[in-house]
Amino acid sequence: MRSLLERMFVDPFNRLADEFARVVPVVVMVLVTLIVGGFIAYVARWLTYRFLQLARFDRLVQQTGFAHMIERTGVFRSASDLGARFVQAVVWLFVILFALSAAGTPSTVGLVSRFVEYVPNLIVAGLVLLLGVLASRMASRSALLAAVNAQWPGARLIAGGVRTVVMTLAIVIALEQLHIGNVPLLVAFAIVFAGIVFALAVAFGLGARDLARQWLEAKIRASHAEEEIFRHL
Amino acid sequence: MDDLFPSELKTRLEQVGQADIVVGIPSYNNAGTIGHVVRAVSVGLAKYFPDYRSAIVNSDGGSKDKTQEVVLSAEAGRDELLLVSHPLNASQRISTPYHGVPGKGSAFRTIFAVASRLKAKACVVVDSDLRSITPGWVELLAQPILKHDYDYIAPYYHRHKYDGTITNGIIYPMTRTLYGKSVRQPIGGEFGVSGRLGARYLEKEVWDTDVARFGIDIWMTVTAIAEGFRVGQAYLGAKLHDAKDPGADLTSMFRQVVGSFFSLMESYESVWKNVHGCEAVPMFGFPFEVGVEPLSVNTDRMMHALQQGVNDLEEIYRSFLSPSTLLDLTNFVHRNGQGFHLPDELWVRMIYEAAAAFHHRQLDRDHLLQSLVPLYLGRTASFVLEVKDSDAPQVEERIEQLCQVFEAEKSYLAQQWDPAGKEAVHAQPA
Repeated sequence: MRSLLERMFVDPFNRLADEFARVVPVVVMVLVTLIVGGFIAYVARWLTYRFLQLARFDRLVQQTGFAHMIERTGVFRSASDLGARFVQAVVWLFVILFALSAAGTPSTVGLVSRFVEYVPNLIVAGLVLLLGVLASRMASRSALLAAVNAQWPGARLIAGGVRTVVMTLAIVIALEQLHIGNVPLLVAFAIVFAGIVFALAVAFGLGARDLARQWLEAKIRASHAEEEIFRHL
Repeated sequence: MDDLFPSELKTRLEQVGQADIVVGIPSYNNAGTIGHVVRAVSVGLAKYFPDYRSAIVNSDGGSKDKTQEVVLSAEAGRDELLLVSHPLNASQRISTPYHGVPGKGSAFRTIFAVASRLKAKACVVVDSDLRSITPGWVELLAQPILKHDYDYIAPYYHRHKYDGTITNGIIYPMTRTLYGKSVRQPIGGEFGVSGRLGARYLEKEVWDTDVARFGIDIWMTVTAIAEGFRVGQAYLGAKLHDAKDPGADLTSMFRQVVGSFFSLMESYESVWKNVHGCEAVPMFGFPFEVGVEPLSVNTDRMMHALQQGVNDLEEIYRSFLSPSTLLDLTNFVHRNGQGFHLPDELWVRMIYEAAAAFHHRQLDRDHLLQSLVPLYLGRTASFVLEVKDSDAPQVEERIEQLCQVFEAEKSYLAQQWDPAGKEAVHAQPA
């Protein structure tokens, strides 16, 4: 009778207690890690923000012209805020990885290991995007200045187009690096890009024949006017 | 330096040995005009310097139209009628391709190197597309160096009132404001340099940069003044030459000239910050009135360039112009029906703020310089409209007024140049 009771109630209870004894410390440790990590991330953000303020990072970014773009997102107050939140996010990422690793279950360990293997791809994709932002900015500004100095109408539209194309290319490469989409994405990009060019050609050639003629005539007149012009030096 | 000389040139230089005067003629596809220039120079050397050993050096950029053959075969022939005595030494002719980045600068470098190798006391350079050159030009550019110990002789031409607007609107006023010497045409094209100044130029590390293109003339002038060489001017009359270099578009020309000038401000900061006032530069030759070629100017197109620039490039302007300057510029562009006159004070402030931004690298330097082109065109339109009914002396008076504004605002430039001062100005609300 006693043996039956033990088997029915005491043993499961003991097993449950053992499970709790094994899991609870892990859960507590994960929770503590997250709380302490969250605090550390917050402190890191605060310190980074102060440091960037002292280093006049906002002014530096303002000179590159990115400040306006950051403010326009409406998410970040300033470039220093963006930098500080980025540092906070990175610290958070490490804290979560640490917490998952501390859990020690096969699934979390597997997740962490897969993530660690994925990190180089993330870094490369991040660098590609960063380069894309810088290159698109440089290229669009060059296009804008060239178009303005050639007195082409729609100079800003041209610059915007250049920026979009360069940025789209960077995003496609970054996604390819992250193994997202791959071939379908590349094909989609090629189709869309070719479609845009074709649509523009058709629109300009057929829909705006008069505009095309006027534009070409104006260009020819302008180049003749240029020949008549005085010497600048 | 010998790297600059192909083996044929080395052999030719050994044959020539030494020369007191070297006349350099840079060229690129100038077969149609260079014969006249070579003849004028040959006669000039024979007529005015019969006792001197001389060489004419053509530094060619790879012409496809037999320019080099024309140089070597141009006959003085009937020009000998101009001579009262026969020269003791006939001038030697050398024609060689130059090496380095394509442009005037590389051609000049080869000419200076040849002059140095031949131990020349004076080196004169004239363009190969000149139609108004006379034998007297050689005398005017070389004599002050040989007889009066000058180091650099800049040309002084009689020009159309609309001509040379980068010179009149930016380079001349800034050269005299910063370096204190009133060289009226600091980017003239023709010039004379002493052997020692030519050697000094060769020591500099600028020959593979933008300076070696359109920036070479202003670089030579400023280097000569800032390094304390004796500088003079020679009145050459009118300069008539072929239509402009078709490859020379305004944006790259402007970028190279103004960029070179701004770079020189960094090199010679200690010089210009200690210069106060301006002194006249001696003029050689006899000034006379000459007719100049008529010019047509499309001011509507220039005004439109300014309007489009201010509308489309506002973000770029905001990154280097102070708030008050940008506001004044915007107000000026959007003001309609009140005449088109860009105030000198605003123009000078824009140029000084751009120079400071170039120095502080506030944005990509190429972008900064390109963004100035619409402002320059607007200012040029304003100037053309203003002097439409003025005669030459009135136009000179107008340019003098602009120079005085540049001089009066020099302290503003110094303030902008200093990082703390610049910050203070840019922090002020418009």
